[in-house]
Amino acid sequence: MKDLKHLIYFESLLENADNELVKQAQAEGGLAIGYTCFHIPEVILNCGNMFSVRLRAPNTGSIDIATYYMSNYTCEYARALVERAIEGGYQFLDAMIGVDACSMMNRAMEHFEILNINEKPTFFVTHTDMPYKITDYTVDGYVKQMRLRVLDRLSEVYGVDTSDAAIRQAVEEHNEVCRIISEIGEMRKADNPVITGYEFHVLNLVTYTCPKKLILPYLRETLEELKQREPDAKSPFRARVAIVGSEIDDPSLTKLIEGCGALVVSDRYCFGSTPGREVLELKDDEDALTQICRHYMEVSECARYIADEKVMQRRETADRLAREFKAEGIIYEQMKYCDYWGFERALVSHIMHDEYGWPVLSIDRLYNNGNSGQLRTRCQAFVESLEIKRIHKEEGKV
Amino acid sequence: MANKKIVYPDPKFFKAKDEINWKAQGENLMEVIGIFGEMLKETDWKTVGKKFVDGCKSDIERVKGEYKDFMALDAEEKKDRVINGERSLGRLYRKGAMATVRREWRGVKDTAYDFWEWARMWGMLLGTFSKDLVPAMNSALWYRWMISYFCCHGFMDKNILGLRGSNLRMSHEATYQIFRYVAENLVLLSKADRKNGNSTELNRMMITFDEMTMGQIMAGFPDLCGIPHQLLPMFLVSEIDQLVCIPYIDAVESYGLPADTCPVPSSECGALVIDALPDMGSGFISSSMPCDGSTMASSYFARRFPNIPVFHLCFPVRYLDEETVQMGADDIKACIKFIEEKTGAKWSWDAYFAAMKRFNMETDLELQKWEINKSAYPQFIGPSYELFRKWNYEMDGGIDPRVLPSMEKVNKILLKAYENKETAWPERKMKYRGMVWSCPAHYYANFSNWLANCWGIDILVEMESLNFTKHLETEDKEEALRDLARLYERMVMRRHTNGGYQNVVDELWRQSEEWNAPLIIMYQNVACKNMATVQGILDEQGRARGKDLIWIEHDLMDPRTVSRRSMRDKVNSYMTTVMRAEPVDPSLVEFEDDECM
Repeated sequence: MKDLKHLIYFESLLENADNELVKQAQAEGGLAIGYTCFHIPEVILNCGNMFSVRLRAPNTGSIDIATYYMSNYTCEYARALVERAIEGGYQFLDAMIGVDACSMMNRAMEHFEILNINEKPTFFVTHTDMPYKITDYTVDGYVKQMRLRVLDRLSEVYGVDTSDAAIRQAVEEHNEVCRIISEIGEMRKADNPVITGYEFHVLNLVTYTCPKKLILPYLRETLEELKQREPDAKSPFRARVAIVGSEIDDPSLTKLIEGCGALVVSDRYCFGSTPGREVLELKDDEDALTQICRHYMEVSECARYIADEKVMQRRETADRLAREFKAEGIIYEQMKYCDYWGFERALVSHIMHDEYGWPVLSIDRLYNNGNSGQLRTRCQAFVESLEIKRIHKEEGKV
Repeated sequence: MANKKIVYPDPKFFKAKDEINWKAQGENLMEVIGIFGEMLKETDWKTVGKKFVDGCKSDIERVKGEYKDFMALDAEEKKDRVINGERSLGRLYRKGAMATVRREWRGVKDTAYDFWEWARMWGMLLGTFSKDLVPAMNSALWYRWMISYFCCHGFMDKNILGLRGSNLRMSHEATYQIFRYVAENLVLLSKADRKNGNSTELNRMMITFDEMTMGQIMAGFPDLCGIPHQLLPMFLVSEIDQLVCIPYIDAVESYGLPADTCPVPSSECGALVIDALPDMGSGFISSSMPCDGSTMASSYFARRFPNIPVFHLCFPVRYLDEETVQMGADDIKACIKFIEEKTGAKWSWDAYFAAMKRFNMETDLELQKWEINKSAYPQFIGPSYELFRKWNYEMDGGIDPRVLPSMEKVNKILLKAYENKETAWPERKMKYRGMVWSCPAHYYANFSNWLANCWGIDILVEMESLNFTKHLETEDKEEALRDLARLYERMVMRRHTNGGYQNVVDELWRQSEEWNAPLIIMYQNVACKNMATVQGILDEQGRARGKDLIWIEHDLMDPRTVSRRSMRDKVNSYMTTVMRAEPVDPSLVEFEDDECM
């Protein structure tokens, strides 16, 4: 296929948290609000002159100093953030929205405070409490946290307009991003898609890490380009897989998997598009914040939700996405040392195989995986097994 | 209150009719016999014989050595040994043995007392198990963990090694309360277990809850029997027998669970994988506490026992934020409703308030102990007290009316000992005032005992003991629920490891000052993410404040990762190189207990 016009530019935007568009938005008076977790509805961080930046630590090398502070048995994503923060990589932030959803991420955010990683006098870190299940009272609690610990803090410190009208306006822009990404994402359902998993991963990531207003023109153009794009006559991929699991903000993982011959057609992981890029349909008879919070709780696929219906939802969603996107197998992955996904992956990778009939590759992985030979070998073996299954099926042996 | 006739637990629980499936028991018995048969066939009897002979020889040598050592003492020292007991406790351990070679000689008076308590414990155990012996004994044919409980007296002994006088008496009293709870619940658990006693009647009255969920909610259901599901098969027994959780951990790791997760939920899930948990109750209350790993174990439970309805009791993590409290209170309300629906029982405010009034009084008694232990004459310290505090706070919670008089009795001894300026350990063992931070290793439950006996380090308090001490509301119903939420949010461990680093870092320095305990045993459970993520800060700030932090790695329930000996070596090394200290009892510096329960 012909290269996407802006792909290299998008890739360059992912080289730094403080990328070109972030700098531009700040130069225009915007406030960069950092966050990491899906539990913080990104749309509310885009009210007024604020813009959200979902934090990554691209090109992470040594994390020795963060390891001193947080030990070597903890999430590498959390440690990479602390390391980058100590290096000064998040000096551009105006505020950091912490979330006490998992202990390691919470501690990472606390280190931002303890180690004074940002010298801006108005910079602050706020911490929020997240519910574990969806009920009327947990929705109320969640809304209250977002109002008191996030929006009110931002209003107090920066005078940002966080009114219902301002939130609704942010939703409009957010929805346009979601529509574009969803439309592009749907293209992966084709037998021979016009977009690879890697390209989609890059596209989706820039929507999380760049100011919406500034990335939108590029997205619109890319959508039009994809509509005209001609796929290769024969797909270079030998199999199609869905990825399910914990945080992946490193597109080189997708590249590695696709390098082994498996087209990644579905991205059901943290930083992915399902969930994350659904259009928010707001009603007029209820405040926007409550509707947004409820939406995020309902679509969340985080393993932290332990109520039975959410446990089942995660399995059903993985199965549905794999079917809809015509995957032949599922890769269940977890960031090493992630407790939530460690337990979830171990159990559900069996269930998806035994009860839903999916071939499953179950892996735990590091934060940076682009060069992992071990992972490559496992993915190659999985692709071969999927091919053999297909051949057997075609020969009527299964 | 003490004069009122107390009948607890409700006798109807013990009287509930068993419906044992004898055919299934027979099949299981045959399987067990088969296993024993294979073991016998594969046993190398020559080695067994040699071990026996070696053991006998070792005993003879030991007795000779003890005699020789005693005879080498002068008259005054001999008198001291007879009256005050032995001083070289390391000789009680033998390489490869699962128990100590004999009980400790504590001097005439304390040894006599110790045997009296030993006999009292046996009496209680026999009396309790006789309430329904068959299912209880049959449990030993279903569950390997049940066998470990046969060694509970050994557990009692190791927790009181080196103790004398008032501390010995208080420790025995505390241990008795816990063992009675365990014995009664083992009987009930065996009766209810659908594989075993299969009592439909009891199961209708039974709610089980996650071992990490505090028991106080059951105070409002006096007609129901509440049992922490994994506590006896896993959590508590892992303190008695260091090897008991290994098969669970291996099973779940073979299943695919990463080895870096906390051994508590790992063992819980592993026990489910190998079917080591009883099938019982009308509903299960799972919990999001105390940490991320424990949160996830509930999905394994639901998969193993699909017919037992589950309620997920979830509390806010940022518990100091008062805005979150109502959410916790609302969840308790929902949990009460769940229990009512599943059992037909009705929540009783009267019963709840009565229990919480007792709990408040127990809290006052606890605070009295803290005051004494903070002073220059600490009285009640050691593993028995540490375990009692956790059990009383988490599981008993004022529900059992027999506990309050027992605590009053202990405090009476405590105050008298303080007035007499007694020492918690014999004088020579009180050299350093210390405290424990982070969670202790289950497989080394009597580590504080070794610290005192070997190096004279007196652990005055553990992090896990320093929990919620506010009186719970006993009149206003809405506020009572909010208080209960506050209590649950501050459960053991969670009180410190959740809700912000201040609760575990700043709090340590505050408590260290308050208890005048500059030496800190800083446990590092290698899989505890909540603690591991503040290790650098603790280290930095500890150094800046001039504290003696002895970092001790362990793997909570898996002694293969970091053995007891490795834990001791850390202390030995710190005490000799940094503190330039001499051991109080050199025989305890180096000994073998890798297989000792």
